[in-house]
Amino acid sequence: MHQNRKKFLVTSAVVATSAAITGFPNIVLGAPEPIRIGLIPPITGSNALLGQQEQDGVKLAVDQINARKGKVYDDRPFEVVTEDATNDNQSAVAALNKILGENIVALLAPVLSTQIQAMAPVMKTHEIPWMTGGTAVKNTQLGVPGLFRLRASDGITAAAMTAFAVTDKKAKKPAILHASDAFGTGGAEQIVMNLKKFNMDPVANEQYPKDTKDFTAELLKIKTAGADALLMYIQNPSDTALILQQIRSNGLKMPIIGSPSLGNQSALDIAKQSANGAYVGLDFIVGFNSSVATKFLTSYYNTFHHQPDVGSGSGWIYDGVFLLADAYRKQKSTDPKATIAALKKTKGWEGVMGTFNCDGEGNMVHAISIGEINDDSIKLVKKVTG
Amino acid sequence: MPFDPVANVQLLINGLAIGSIYALVALGFVLIYNAVGVVNFAQGDFVMLPSYVAISFLVPQVAVFGTMMHWQLPVIVAYAVVLVLMVGFGLLFNLIAYHPLRDRGWMPVVISTIGVSIFLRNFAQLTWGSQPLGFPSLFSAETIDFSGLHVRPQDILIIAVTAVLIAFQYFLFERTSLGKQMRATAQDRTTARLLGIRVSRIVAITFVYSVLLGTISGFLVSPIFSVTKEMGGLIALKAFAASIVGGFGSIPGAIIGGLAIGVVETFGGFYVSAAYTDAIAFVILIAVLLFRPQGLFGERVAEKA
Repeated sequence: MHQNRKKFLVTSAVVATSAAITGFPNIVLGAPEPIRIGLIPPITGSNALLGQQEQDGVKLAVDQINARKGKVYDDRPFEVVTEDATNDNQSAVAALNKILGENIVALLAPVLSTQIQAMAPVMKTHEIPWMTGGTAVKNTQLGVPGLFRLRASDGITAAAMTAFAVTDKKAKKPAILHASDAFGTGGAEQIVMNLKKFNMDPVANEQYPKDTKDFTAELLKIKTAGADALLMYIQNPSDTALILQQIRSNGLKMPIIGSPSLGNQSALDIAKQSANGAYVGLDFIVGFNSSVATKFLTSYYNTFHHQPDVGSGSGWIYDGVFLLADAYRKQKSTDPKATIAALKKTKGWEGVMGTFNCDGEGNMVHAISIGEINDDSIKLVKKVTG
Repeated sequence: MPFDPVANVQLLINGLAIGSIYALVALGFVLIYNAVGVVNFAQGDFVMLPSYVAISFLVPQVAVFGTMMHWQLPVIVAYAVVLVLMVGFGLLFNLIAYHPLRDRGWMPVVISTIGVSIFLRNFAQLTWGSQPLGFPSLFSAETIDFSGLHVRPQDILIIAVTAVLIAFQYFLFERTSLGKQMRATAQDRTTARLLGIRVSRIVAITFVYSVLLGTISGFLVSPIFSVTKEMGGLIALKAFAASIVGGFGSIPGAIIGGLAIGVVETFGGFYVSAAYTDAIAFVILIAVLLFRPQGLFGERVAEKA
């Protein structure tokens, strides 16, 4: 009898402990089931800074949604499942395969276009909403159902940068410098395509391999080619900062027009006065943004005590969580097919990154700004809608 | 492309500057290889770690474990403090990563150095965050301009400090008792021990010296590369290639190999393609391995025996 009682108590303790770990109390207490969304940022590796910004953006959005009355809908909160996409494509695909087994209803996909393109074959086999900030034009042309891009594509950015160089800065002999990854190569192709509209070819089109620290060869080639404007398409802010410093130290004097990373705060922190006078094609300029973005910036700073990298880091992903929450709330379900259909109808939705209007390829944002950098701040030069 | 003499001199100066950094790190590889017979895969992190530590003492707005540091020590004081701390780190590295494994062959030690490298990179990310950090330069961003050349004062400093360190190393190894003990230990540890040399102590000093070379490389290169947890990785890879090109184990080989790789990859990037800068360095490495496996200054294996 004593043995049976002891056995019963031990069994009960084991069951109770297991239940506590597996979330059984939610069922017992009638707590609404959380809505699980996946997140695969680069937590480790050379893009960990982006990954941190993405995680911060998601945390801020999820905390705000879970704190509001009714949470997402019917008191169901968001629950985020995170896997590390690290810095390479294989790891991103492995992280994707792992997270797809975690009962998620949507995925906040990596911002790195090269990883999106590597993941596409797996993504095609799962019909759930995928949100990305990857700007390579090709990303939304891969045939992945339910892939939505929450920033202006490189097509829009490159067109705006090129037009600015040729029409505003009167460039006759533009040169291109870009990273050799999918982002840099795709952006450079777009610039070449847009230069052709002005009957021009770049006088130099230089690419550099990953982890380059000394850009002397590339910059001297551009200088000796007689370039009168330099268009840069680079994702890594650290690379951008080093190039800006070395442009100065190698005596290049032409106008510089860079992709969004040139406006990244960490790039400006390192480049300091070397960034002065440079122009940047940017999907977000602080001080020239909507009230939604102002609220986001304030909340972000109050929570994390530093300024966000809105464009490639935390802004688009914050919008992604709210877009999903709005869709789920309206349809009172997380059914992936219904959510994809609802997201495709997005029109006039105001987010941090601007006004969202979904086109046939899943592109949500269609505007970009050209800004000028001076003394660590960026002022708006013009807005361009693609 | 028309020949531009100014551009070529500019390429040479920048190539020598980057090559000097490869040479210093290659020296660290060679010293440890000679002393204990293994390749230290944490050599690049000996450049990264002190750079982060120094930045914490120098820059007012750097967060360490999420807490803002406001030390802002004078540059010379900060450098001196970091050098002292790195002496301790070198001793600790020897004590933890090498000493307990010294009698178990080369493989466990190599794996141990790989483990330390991974640990240090993750430690750096946790401690200083993932954001690249700008390292204050002793000089302004202005270049010295003459005859169309634009030379960074930092590049001149790198080349000058490397030359001084090479001269110091020559003096240490050729003219001091300590240097002779280090050379004797490198050549034959058993005989050195029989001659009364305290081999364990000499090995520990070699690790410390190697860490200090990395520290000085970090001070020199950080103002132009900025500080990231990966900064040592590529430098170490090129330095490793440099030490093989020069002849693994050869000190003059490491220096010449480092300078050669720096200059050739800079010229190659300009005249061939910048996209193949890294490939050029490793094509040289493969060519040397094929046609002169002992390296430019290395002894043939038969001669060693």
